[in-house]
Amino acid sequence: MAFISFLAALIPLDGLGHYLHWGVIYISVANFIVIVLMILTFITALLAPFPGRSRRKESK
Amino acid sequence: MSKKGFRPDVDAPEWKGGHQPYDIIKEGTIALIVVALLTVVFAVMFGSPDDKEITIKTWANAAPLDFAQTALGEMNGTTTTAGYGAPYNTASTGQTLGPLQLAKWAGVRIPINTEKDFVIRPLETQPYDPTLSSALTSWKAASSTQQTTWVNNFTKASNSMKFVNGNVVASTSDSGPVPVFINDLTHMARSGALDADLISGGSFFTTDYTKPLLFLSDGGYLAKLAQDQHLLGSQWGMMNETNSYPGQAWLWLYTFWYQITPFSSSSNADVQVWGMMMLLSVILLLVPVIPGLRALPRKMKVYRLIWREHYRDQ
Repeated sequence: MAFISFLAALIPLDGLGHYLHWGVIYISVANFIVIVLMILTFITALLAPFPGRSRRKESK
Repeated sequence: MSKKGFRPDVDAPEWKGGHQPYDIIKEGTIALIVVALLTVVFAVMFGSPDDKEITIKTWANAAPLDFAQTALGEMNGTTTTAGYGAPYNTASTGQTLGPLQLAKWAGVRIPINTEKDFVIRPLETQPYDPTLSSALTSWKAASSTQQTTWVNNFTKASNSMKFVNGNVVASTSDSGPVPVFINDLTHMARSGALDADLISGGSFFTTDYTKPLLFLSDGGYLAKLAQDQHLLGSQWGMMNETNSYPGQAWLWLYTFWYQITPFSSSSNADVQVWGMMMLLSVILLLVPVIPGLRALPRKMKVYRLIWREHYRDQ
């Protein structure tokens, strides 16, 4: 139990949130990070080579 | 029968290349295991936003005067719930979308008389107390005009309301039993008995939090807490979470409309934003049959980036 308590929330997020404000846009830093990560994941999915590409080339 | 020409965005050309076996079960299993492991690891690393619940007891102990003022508002009909309209009462037309009186048409499905349901009936459930019992008796015996006069007189004196030695006091005259009601209801709330009464509400099941939540949201205490946590509608609150946790980022478009005119200044913003999102959802659903819009993937050529190896070899 103590071990689980120790592990629980290694990165504490219970402090008051920070917010970014640009005109009408008002977004928490946490949400902003999540959205940036989603965009990066999308770009990676577009640009990363398909797995097994080298095997297919060899078999050609 | 004449053969029609090939229509891009509508017709699919026949595939004349080779075929390869593909194990979708294997890929699905790997994805499931990876996502499950990530979920456990992230849960351990970040924990979860589990703030302690806010009850009427919490509110009445933290801000007894705000509670007492709100209880008086429930009696004089000035709170949000009292004047909301359907589904709680007929005090107003409720949310309308142009000429469509949607809330009114849906009707009063959760009837709430704030004076009776939030003040008088809970007080009637209290153990016998001569002062309260006498106050309730005189209230029931009075005409509705007399009741209104008492409530109005106490409302006029509400600015002088104070919380002294555990009691709500105000300099008032000719308010009948109303001061007793407000004081006793505050005691009831501070003990937690009002939460219990409003949750059960005479029903067998005790999972219906509609009444305590409405009462809470009528006061200023909950709104202040929400504002401090950036959870108000005007703060993009729909996509925020308490403290530093990420929230419902996917609701960005829904909450965005609330920030701009005409929605931000409209009393019918809820139904108008809903209507806007329904319209956009229908457009999204119909993209394959909307000329121009359905050609965007072909014209933007993102697919050539994904399948660049294939197009490079052509």
